[in-house]
Amino acid sequence: MAVILTLVRKDIANFRRNRAAVGVTFLVPIVLIYIFGWVFGLNQKDSGPTGIRLAVVNASTNPAAQKLVDALKAEKAFSIVTTFRNDDKTTRPLAEQDLRPMIHDGDFRFAVVIPADVVRTDGIGLHLKILSDPRNDIEAQTVNGLLQKTIFSNVPELLGQSLQARARQFLGDGRFRQFNRGIAGTVATAFGGDPAEIQRQIESGDFGLNRISHPARPADPALRRIDNAAPPPAAAPAPGAPAAGQPTPSGAQDFFSRLVKIDSEQIVGKNVKSPAATRMVGGWAIMFLLFAVSNGAAAFFDEANTGVFRRILSAPVTRAQLLWSRFLYGVWLGLIQLLIMFMAGHLMYGIDVFGHLGNLIAVSVAAAAACSSFGMLIAALAPNAAAASGLSTLLVMVMSATGGAWFPMSFMPEFMQRIGKFTLVYWSMEGFLQVLWAERTFVELLPILGILAGITLVVMTVAIWRLNKKSIFA
Amino acid sequence: MLSLRSVTKRYGALTALDGVSLDIARGEFFGLLGPNGAGKSTLMSLAAGLRAPDAGALTLDGVVVTPADPATRTALGLVPQSIALFQELSAEQNLHTFGRLYGLGGAELRGRIDEALTAVGLADRRHDPVKNYSGGMQRRLNLIAALLHRPKLLLCDEPTVGVDPQSRNAIFDFLEQRNREGLTIIYSTHYMEEATRLCSRIGIIDHGKIHALGTLDELLTQLPFEEEIVFPATPATAPLAAGLGAHGTLTTVEGRHRFLPAPGFKLSAFYARTEAHGLSPQLFAAARPTLEAVFLHLTGRTLRE
Repeated sequence: MAVILTLVRKDIANFRRNRAAVGVTFLVPIVLIYIFGWVFGLNQKDSGPTGIRLAVVNASTNPAAQKLVDALKAEKAFSIVTTFRNDDKTTRPLAEQDLRPMIHDGDFRFAVVIPADVVRTDGIGLHLKILSDPRNDIEAQTVNGLLQKTIFSNVPELLGQSLQARARQFLGDGRFRQFNRGIAGTVATAFGGDPAEIQRQIESGDFGLNRISHPARPADPALRRIDNAAPPPAAAPAPGAPAAGQPTPSGAQDFFSRLVKIDSEQIVGKNVKSPAATRMVGGWAIMFLLFAVSNGAAAFFDEANTGVFRRILSAPVTRAQLLWSRFLYGVWLGLIQLLIMFMAGHLMYGIDVFGHLGNLIAVSVAAAAACSSFGMLIAALAPNAAAASGLSTLLVMVMSATGGAWFPMSFMPEFMQRIGKFTLVYWSMEGFLQVLWAERTFVELLPILGILAGITLVVMTVAIWRLNKKSIFA
Repeated sequence: MLSLRSVTKRYGALTALDGVSLDIARGEFFGLLGPNGAGKSTLMSLAAGLRAPDAGALTLDGVVVTPADPATRTALGLVPQSIALFQELSAEQNLHTFGRLYGLGGAELRGRIDEALTAVGLADRRHDPVKNYSGGMQRRLNLIAALLHRPKLLLCDEPTVGVDPQSRNAIFDFLEQRNREGLTIIYSTHYMEEATRLCSRIGIIDHGKIHALGTLDELLTQLPFEEEIVFPATPATAPLAAGLGAHGTLTTVEGRHRFLPAPGFKLSAFYARTEAHGLSPQLFAAARPTLEAVFLHLTGRTLRE
C-alpha cells in the first residue's frame, strides 16, 4: 500500500507542476459551464435569446397592428428594425420591398410584414407574412415560436376584429350593429356593466380573449395542467415549431393559431439540397481544424527542443522564413482537412460542394490561414508544448462556443455575442455559410475574405513579434 | 579563419561570455573544453550566427557573422548537441531537406547524400525512418547532415553524447579524415580523452572566459608540477587519498589515484604522509599529467549547475 501511495503522491506532484494540465482540468470546464450557463439560463432571472434582429413592416392602419409592433419591440429576444437607412444617411420606414434584399445581404435574418389586410375579410382570422433566412435551424424555430407567442399573447383583439368584419360582411351593417347591441345587452343583463361600453368593446374586437390567453392563475392545479399541456401541432404554416424549452402556445393560443394565416417565405438557402448538414458543417469543420493546428503548435516546441530549429537556422535561413514556412504548412494542412471534411459531407449528407467549389476553396484558404496563424500565436504565447496544448484546448472550445459553432450566438448575452464576433470561428463559419447556404458570388465574399485575411495578418504579426523574443531559436 | 574579438553575451543578469577573444586558424581542429554552463554552447551559437553578441564581434574570413546575414552561414556547418533530425523521415529525406536549405539539389545533392551515407555506414538503412535507428546511427547522421554543403568550418557541439565506443570511434575517424582534408573544426566537449585525441589546440572555458589556450603540451606547462603522483586506489591507500584533496587535485581512474600537488605543497610533505600511513614508497610513481588535471586545476572541483 505504501508503494501505491508513494506513486499516487508522485502523480499528484507531477499534476500540480503541470500548469497546463491543471488549466485544462479545471479552467476549461469552468469557462464552458459559465458559457452554457448563460445559454441555458442557469441561475439567470432573465434567460433566453437576445438581440435577434427582426425587421417589422407595418402596412396596416389598425391600432391593434401597432400594438403588435410594440409588443414585438418589448420582447427582449428581438432587436426590432423598422427603418431603412438611405445612402444619404437619412432614414425612412421599412417597406416590404426592402426586406428581401436586406435579408439576402444579411442585414437581418427575419422579418414580419403586417399587411394592410391584417384582418382577413375572406375568412375568420389574421393574415401575416414572415420572411426568413433560416441559416440556423435552432434560431429559426425559436424565432417562429417567439413570434407566435407574441402574436397570440398580445393582440387577440385582432382576431375579434376579424370576427366582426366577417359578421358585418354576412349580416350587413344595420343587422350587424343590431346583433352586437343584442349581445351587449344580454351580457350586461347576465354579468352587469354598461351595455353601450360592452357594445363598443365588442365592435373594437375586444371579446375578452386576451383574458383567455393571459388567464388568472387557477386555484385548481388540474386546470393549470390543462392550461400548460403541450398543444397539438399548430395549423399555422410557419416553418418549424418552437424548440424544446422555448415558448409554446397554450391551449387557448392553439385555438388562435388556427385563426392566424401566416405566409412564410424563405429568402436565403431555399435551394440548398441538404439544409441541416449545410448549416452545421462549417462550424464543426473549423473547430476540428483549430484542434489540428493546435497540435502543430505543440510540434513546434518538439522541433525547438530537439535542436532542429538550431540546425535549420544555422543554414542560410532566416527566422521569418522558418516561421512563414510553419504558417504555410498550417494553411496547407487546414485546406486539405477542410476540403476532405466537405467532401465527406457531400458523400454522406449530400452537401453541394461542387456547385460552389471555387468559392469554397477561397473561403477555406482564408479560414485555414486564420487558423494557422492562431496555431502560431499559441506557440508564441505558450512556454512549452504542454502549455500550448492546454491553452489551445481552452481557446478552441471558448471560441467555438462563443463563435456560434455549437449553438446560435443569439442564445448568449449580448456582450458575449460581441466577443464572439472577434473570433475566427465566427468569421470562418460565416464564410462557409455565405458560400454553401447563401450561395454568394466571389465578389460578395470579398468582405469576409478580407476580414479573415485581416485576422491572419494581425495574429501573425503578434505571433512573429512574440516568437522573435523567445529563446527557442538558439 | 574564425575570429572573436572581446565577445560578450549576456542572458539577463547572467554573463555567458565575458570578453572572449580567440582566433581559429584554417585547418585547425580546435577543442573547446569546459564544465556545464561554462559558455561553450553560447560560443557555438554565436559562431553559428544563431545569436548576436552584446559586445564585440565575430568574423569568419573577415565577414561579420550575425543572425541578420544568413549568407555567411553557407561556410558553416553545425552539429547540435541534441539529435536534430526529423524522426519520422528517413535518413535520405533528412539529408535531402538539409541539403536543399543550402541550395543544393538534383544530381549533385543525390551524389553527396550517397557519399555521406556510405562514409558513416548508413547507406543500407537510408530509407528507414530515423526513429528506428540506434543512438549511434542517429549521431552519425546528425554529423553528416552538417557536412552535405561542404562547409569550411564545422561546429561540433558535444556530438558524441550517449554514443557507444564503436560509434564514437567511427565519428572520430570520420572527423579526423575530414580535418586532414582541410576542414576546420571547433569541437566542444567535456570529455578529456576526446579533446586529447582529436584536437590540435584546446581552449578551456569557464564562467564565460577562456582560462587557457594552447596545445596539450602548452596547457600542461600551466600546471604547478610537471608530474602527477600515481598510486593504486586500495583500502590501504584510502586514508591517504582522503587527506590529499585539500593539497592538490586528486582524480581516480580505473583503480588508480592521480594526485597533482597544488602550488606550495612540497613533495617531502607528501612522502611524510605516506610514511605516516605505513605505505611503501614502491606504491607511488611519477607520471605525466593528463588534460583532466589541467582542466580540474583551472576550473576547480566544485559541482556545476
